[in-house]
Amino acid sequence: MNKKNGDFQKRLLSTFRAEADEHLKNITAGLIELEKDLDPQVKAGIIETVFREAHSLKGAARAVNQTDIETICQSLESVFSALKRQEIDPGPFMFDTLHQTVDILNELNLSSPEGVRTDKAKLAGIIEKIAKVETGQTDVLSGLPEHPAIQADDIVRRQERMPSDTIRISVEKIDLLLRQGEELLSLKLMADQHSDDIHDLINMFEVWQKQWSKIYSTICEFRRLQERNDKQGKKRRKDDKQNYKVLEFGDLTHDNMKVFESKLIELRRTGDRHRYTTALMVENLLEEMKKILMLPFSTLLEAFPKFVRDLSRDQGKDIELVISGEGIEIDRRILEEMRVVFIHLLRNAIDHGIEKPEVRLRNKKSPRGKIKIMVTSMEGNKVDILLSDDGNGMDMPALKDAAIKRGIISLEDAAKLTDQDLPAIVFQSGVSTSPVITDISGRGLGLAIVREKIEKLGGQIVLETHRHTGTSFRMTLPLTMITFRGLHVTVAEREFIISTTNVEKVVRVKHEEIKTVENRDTLSLSGMTIPLLRLADVLELTEKNGDLPMMTVLILESQGKRVGFIVNEVLNELEVLIKSLSQPLTRVRNIAGATILGSGKVVPVLNISDLMKSAAKAAVYGPKPDRPEANGEVTRKSVLVVEDSITSRMLLKNILETAGYLVVTAVDGIDAMTLLKTEKFDVVISDVDMPRMNGFNLTEKIRGDKKLAELPVVLVTALESREDKERGIDVGANAYIVKSSFDQSNLLEVIRRLV
Amino acid sequence: MKKKKNQSDRAFEKSESIIAKPFEDTPEEKRTVLRSRAKRLSQEIESKGRDEEYFEVLEFLLAHETYAIETPFIREVYPMTEITPLSCTPAFVFGLVNIRGQILTVIDMKKFFDLPERGITNLNKIIVVRKDAMELGILANEIIGIRNIPVNGLQPPLSTLTGIHAEYLKGVTGERLIVLDMERFLTDRRLIVNEEVET
Repeated sequence: MNKKNGDFQKRLLSTFRAEADEHLKNITAGLIELEKDLDPQVKAGIIETVFREAHSLKGAARAVNQTDIETICQSLESVFSALKRQEIDPGPFMFDTLHQTVDILNELNLSSPEGVRTDKAKLAGIIEKIAKVETGQTDVLSGLPEHPAIQADDIVRRQERMPSDTIRISVEKIDLLLRQGEELLSLKLMADQHSDDIHDLINMFEVWQKQWSKIYSTICEFRRLQERNDKQGKKRRKDDKQNYKVLEFGDLTHDNMKVFESKLIELRRTGDRHRYTTALMVENLLEEMKKILMLPFSTLLEAFPKFVRDLSRDQGKDIELVISGEGIEIDRRILEEMRVVFIHLLRNAIDHGIEKPEVRLRNKKSPRGKIKIMVTSMEGNKVDILLSDDGNGMDMPALKDAAIKRGIISLEDAAKLTDQDLPAIVFQSGVSTSPVITDISGRGLGLAIVREKIEKLGGQIVLETHRHTGTSFRMTLPLTMITFRGLHVTVAEREFIISTTNVEKVVRVKHEEIKTVENRDTLSLSGMTIPLLRLADVLELTEKNGDLPMMTVLILESQGKRVGFIVNEVLNELEVLIKSLSQPLTRVRNIAGATILGSGKVVPVLNISDLMKSAAKAAVYGPKPDRPEANGEVTRKSVLVVEDSITSRMLLKNILETAGYLVVTAVDGIDAMTLLKTEKFDVVISDVDMPRMNGFNLTEKIRGDKKLAELPVVLVTALESREDKERGIDVGANAYIVKSSFDQSNLLEVIRRLV
Repeated sequence: MKKKKNQSDRAFEKSESIIAKPFEDTPEEKRTVLRSRAKRLSQEIESKGRDEEYFEVLEFLLAHETYAIETPFIREVYPMTEITPLSCTPAFVFGLVNIRGQILTVIDMKKFFDLPERGITNLNKIIVVRKDAMELGILANEIIGIRNIPVNGLQPPLSTLTGIHAEYLKGVTGERLIVLDMERFLTDRRLIVNEEVET
């Protein structure tokens, strides 16, 4: 046991050596670049790179308990950070010191783990020197930087390290290899098919052989008769010769069949062996390939402490991120997908979960909030990830109200919801209790995306929240990309795959069984009324043959809802590996991805939650939806745009008019107030920084006015500071969008939510 | 006989001296020879490069027009195999194709640029182009080949030349070969499909 642990430590350390070497090389390269006369912008980029390298090295050193390296990196990091903020000017003294530092780090990295031979005085010296650099001192240059001669044992050590047992390969190359490996699956399927064909052939042959053996005895009887006739010396007739020919052919066939039989049996044997070995080889290869693609969680998580620090500082909060189990390895592709998930959840925790220090103190909590990420291995090739915060928890009654308000659940349903059911609605799109929409969160889309991502990976997520004590998300994920079982269906002459887990059942329905309730097709199934849709309609396709007298209906179940979808035909059930669509297809409605069948054909995989949403949409407009725009001017919402810059004004007007809103513009707050008194608007979008009356004052005025108090106000601003954002919230704005992150869909989504 | 021998002796001596000579070169002499050779070689290339600078393009036929794409953007040309159409996408997304296990999006440029459909054309090639993470296939009627175009032979594009708007064109050669601006095309936001089901 102890030995095993020691081995692991050794392996870990050698991994660290390789990593440290890489970081140091990059820092050196960066430093060399920085000394050149470069464009400030390019320089800033390099500073950022070396800063990150030093930071990563520090983190890695801490993980393997290399405290000397960690301490030096800490100092290095602060120098780079000061450089970033342009607090110090780079000079020759700085570069010399930094290069020396890297040399020492290299030396430390090379020294054997048993005996740390770098003397402490040297370390203290360099740290002191770095501190001087950081405070901007340009110390007397003590001649040339000392370059100690490489000692003999140094050389030996270097040589010992030469044969490395790790190599770096670009992800692109590995992916290509994996893709080709996956292609071999079709070879396996072909071998299966081949083997099945041989078995079929043998079955056919056996039937034939049985029939033959029956007729052959008759042939033998016939021959005996013929021969007896000959012996009795009866006169030969003309057709006797032909009789013998037929008899001879019979014998030949009989012999040939025996040869055929043994050949076929031999073929079956080789076919089966071929099938078996191909399957074994392909599966082993893929298994090994999957292992190559495994990366520790740390590769993703190591960026988060800084992310949390920056974001919480920006929010005026003090938050510590504790990570454990980051050494557990998982498929790189899953890790890649999880990046978004972690960012969403961490943002939520920082923005909504953890309270400000003063609030925490008042609630008798430590002023510093804590977010934990715990990764633990589970049985059955799975991993469990717990992301928890010790914040104020979610306000469940408020969430319930929000869900009712957004029409996600009906009042009756809401009454039936138990405390266990409540967390599930958080994952519904558009549920948010945040009174103000900021760029970080509050639009209620985050958790819906999180759930979608995790389900797509074949995982699950559950939420537990307690008022005032915190919120935790528990996620279970497979360690490797798993294959899904999917139903292969045809709709309007096209093929699709639907994940079997969401298919409750497949039923055959007569046309007369469909009933129209409230202008909608429904189906009665064991006492329940289920809404029914044509999958072709949802997918914007047209079924050429129209409705058949007998229809195949898939009953899909998701989030407690059931909907029936009419398909043309269910071909079979398959095991498929879902691949994500790549750029330019970032997200396609109703499509989750695609898979490659054994034949090499690409088949789209349907997105169940999108299908359910489409079904819900169809419910609003009836089975044959009239376009909502067709209702004309009556429903068009009007927007007041308040903006002093003519360019921004035109831009906003253009965006909003394209989206179908009626737009009136005002040049500042006073102008806007005048217009608000005479006309009726559904929402006000205002700039903050304006002459005469700014956006904050305008918002205050609107809130102070009895008639206008309920009017939604969106502040669009170039100011990106916490104080301003808070000021916006204080004066009563409904949303606050920073121009730097301003994009059309964001703005339109916010307006759609508010009006 | 004696004379003849003398002659051959002399010839032998001569050749021997030639063979032996390189070995007798001082390092200094060798360096001079090498340096002059290096100089000669470097000059030749320099003079070639200065006069004409070329860039390589792939020429192809689309909707009865000849276009060209710079080869650095091209990963490969793939014969048209089975393409799976994809529902709920804009018309310019022709479908998905399996290229050695990779699922790739195929774009119909005729639809993207709103070029007129003139009669039936036989689309039988896919040109796989890429820039950073953006990687897609472009439908082509026929691949004509690869050729070099002199850099200064490229003139600013006229939008009247083709249905494609001038902003997507890099230029036009003297022979009216239209070079597409792939950088511009592959970074165009309009190319990106990112749609949610509206609720």
